[in-house]
Amino acid sequence: MKRTGFLLGALSGLAVVANNDTIFSQALAQTALPGLPGGSDRILVVINFQGGNDGLNTVVPFGMSDYYRYRPSLGIAQNEVLRIDDTFGLNPVLAPFKKMYDGGNVAIVHGVGYPDPDHSHFRSTEIWQTAQPKSYESTGWLGRYLDDAGLPKANLFNAVAISNVLPELLISKSTDVPAIDALASYGLRSDKTKGNSEAFHEFVRDTTVPFRSPFLAQVAEIEDHAQRGAQELPKLIAGYQQQATYPATPLGRSLALAAQIVGSKLGTRVLYVQHGSFDTHVTQKQTQNRLLADFANAIAAFYQDLAAHGNDKRVLTMTFSEFGRRAAENASRGTDHGEAAPVFMIGGGVKGGLYGRHPDLGQLNAGNLAFTTDFRSVYATVLERWLGRPSAAIVGGGYTPLPTLLA
Amino acid sequence: MAAQTNAPISYRPAGTLDASGALAPYAGPWNRRLAAHLLRRAGFGGSPADVDRFAAMSPRDAVDSLVRFSDAGPLPARPALEDPPVPPRGLYRGFLAGMAADDATAEARKAFQMQRNQNRRRNLISMQTWWLQRMIASQSPLQEKMTLFWHGHFTSSPEKGTSAQELLMQNQLFREYALGNVRDLTLHVSQDPAMLRYLDNNVNAKAHPNENYARELMELFTLGIGNYTEQDIRESARAFTGWTFRLSPDGTGNFIDNKAQHDDGTKTFLGQTGNFSGTDIVNIIFRQPASSRWFAKKLLAFFVYMDPEPQLIDQVAALIRKNDFEMKPVMATLLHSNVFFSERAYRALVKSPVEFVVGTHQLFGINEVAPVELATMRQMGQMLFYPPNVKGWDGGVAWVNSQTILTRENFANGVAKSPKMMDAAAWIVPAMRSMDPRGVAKTLTEAMLQGDVSPASVAQLVTYLGGSGQTELAQLSMENVDERVRNAAYLTMAMPAYQLA
Repeated sequence: MKRTGFLLGALSGLAVVANNDTIFSQALAQTALPGLPGGSDRILVVINFQGGNDGLNTVVPFGMSDYYRYRPSLGIAQNEVLRIDDTFGLNPVLAPFKKMYDGGNVAIVHGVGYPDPDHSHFRSTEIWQTAQPKSYESTGWLGRYLDDAGLPKANLFNAVAISNVLPELLISKSTDVPAIDALASYGLRSDKTKGNSEAFHEFVRDTTVPFRSPFLAQVAEIEDHAQRGAQELPKLIAGYQQQATYPATPLGRSLALAAQIVGSKLGTRVLYVQHGSFDTHVTQKQTQNRLLADFANAIAAFYQDLAAHGNDKRVLTMTFSEFGRRAAENASRGTDHGEAAPVFMIGGGVKGGLYGRHPDLGQLNAGNLAFTTDFRSVYATVLERWLGRPSAAIVGGGYTPLPTLLA
Repeated sequence: MAAQTNAPISYRPAGTLDASGALAPYAGPWNRRLAAHLLRRAGFGGSPADVDRFAAMSPRDAVDSLVRFSDAGPLPARPALEDPPVPPRGLYRGFLAGMAADDATAEARKAFQMQRNQNRRRNLISMQTWWLQRMIASQSPLQEKMTLFWHGHFTSSPEKGTSAQELLMQNQLFREYALGNVRDLTLHVSQDPAMLRYLDNNVNAKAHPNENYARELMELFTLGIGNYTEQDIRESARAFTGWTFRLSPDGTGNFIDNKAQHDDGTKTFLGQTGNFSGTDIVNIIFRQPASSRWFAKKLLAFFVYMDPEPQLIDQVAALIRKNDFEMKPVMATLLHSNVFFSERAYRALVKSPVEFVVGTHQLFGINEVAPVELATMRQMGQMLFYPPNVKGWDGGVAWVNSQTILTRENFANGVAKSPKMMDAAAWIVPAMRSMDPRGVAKTLTEAMLQGDVSPASVAQLVTYLGGSGQTELAQLSMENVDERVRNAAYLTMAMPAYQLA
């Protein structure tokens, strides 16, 4: 497999910095955002394309002849793709997203992955979320950002996961991140019972118990946060007026809630949203097209809503998926677990365009697209150029972008 | 790889270890509080009657009764698993030849895969339900607790397409060796179909050695990083070549030592040279002092407290070596020791979702587990037969965040409101007819927390029950006593102490 980028990273920080320069020097606009000293008001939204999205049928390399050789039935015809240039185009179901691309608000990074990729959904998801392919890390990369950023301890909403289970990427040592599947189910059922709410509130504040435990204070604090957070959030965001029509899908509802949280100025810095499942082993086209169309409609509505409240420049959205899929389609008109895939960066003063190098379809890594950009370089760019934090302590050294990117 | 951020936070209890006599038999006062501590750690908590029964024994008899397993009592029947579906003939012929399928074949394949996935889901539900019910009902709680410990230690999951039948077979192995010899267990695990598949030893062949099992065997199962080299991994992977399994029609597998795929050349492993087999590798590993320390540390973190002192680890490691890795005498000593019953170890662990759910069932005498509880446990962060990765569950603070806590409280609320609860929990029935808020508060906090509650919280509970003071509640009456006591039972479970084991 091609490990050049990784080996350079291991041997020489300089080589990778140079590499990052070519990839990212234009990825994010260089102009400082007005009224945002030090980027303190900037928000990152991460969308997880769960299940492994097929990059080749998302950003279609129609100009590469090998593409149609690997995709005899699944290939998207040249005259159907939404052309970006003479080689690449978007899947036709992404039309609303293509409009955003044409408006200069979408950066596409080709071929993102990591060395010695794992093909298990669980493990590869974990690697993307912990940013640690070589060992088992108990905190997520954005969890470590939260630990590192010195955000106000009292704020219960420094980060919010819009999901039924807290994703590993937001697990941190010192910040308790609420996971909210939907407002209706977020809360203590017992709080609806008279007197219970007050009693619960007292119990979790009473730590004068007749025993000592290294976990007592933390458990009590989290119980307190869980109750107060669930009680306060609906009130805090109640005044928001939605200014777009979202698709009536889980992703549409999640992004509508994300816009509401952004617009309610809760001090939230990171939001997590999930979408899927993209695990298209069988008759891929139907499933992937539905999910990508949903994504395009939802993300367009999201930025329309954000823009109507003047928040579009404050919000950078990044997508990821645990892996792409194999170059060659399988015999079930689907694709199996693969490796590198594109990452989208949207809004947030992004300077639109294509970045990095597309994996060489003539030189596959045992049937898979070999990565050309390490995912930790993408994270380092987000951390340093958008969230304003040094990346070395969070994603490891050697992935530092140059200081001439977004101020 | 670059070092990660922040030194880890330690959850070692405050205070200093009394190293002299840490493992000597505990001879201090004995009461319900310590009997419940023993039951939470060696089991899942038990019912108030179980706690009374243990409190009436001596500590030695209590521990002896835990390490002697019995099959007494009604136990749930082994789950009836659905066989893996047989693919229709010719389904994969074109697939193997690399041909695109026609629509009919693609549809047939899709139908087959949907059937297979549905069977897997059903089997997982059957197995999880069965094991939880067995934990609830077993008269040998330590057997189930050790089985859970080994499940989180020698991890395997359905991730690699491992069948339910194989995972159930592995689960029986853990139960059989619950307090058996760890070296023997490690050898059996190395030949276990679920493990062979999960860590790829089934594709570890002479011509293409696969190091996955050899690496995890040393890194996570027996020695820990720093006690072997990359060269040791390569050499031991060669020794495990050819260890694979043959599938039986019932979905289980049988270990085979495929000599044709075995590398019988000379290997140098941890300083020794020879024509080693996988068995030799396991034996050499267990002669390393690091192996007894590794198990000592894991046992202490699971049963006593997290991040144990090196001194304490060394003492338990010596105990393990003295008993040649036989777990029964090791656990009998550990569970009866001064350090185990010390105030530093008391409520020094966070209940896992399994402990929380099984313990709550035992508290209220509810033996059945509803399918919805499995989904709830997933939201709490633990799925049986599905550890998150080869490292198993981290435990401790990883169990608690806003999401998992809300799920735990809502689960406790559901149990307290369940009609089954009053039918099953004899101890709570008098409380539900009592007009004495103080007495009810005492009953609840004794049964559920063995009195580990502050006077202020008791007063709050009394206020709530009685409907007096600043609450807007009506006075306690025959009309509202049932509901009020159920809510108070929930509120007692909502106290932070109930999250701690």
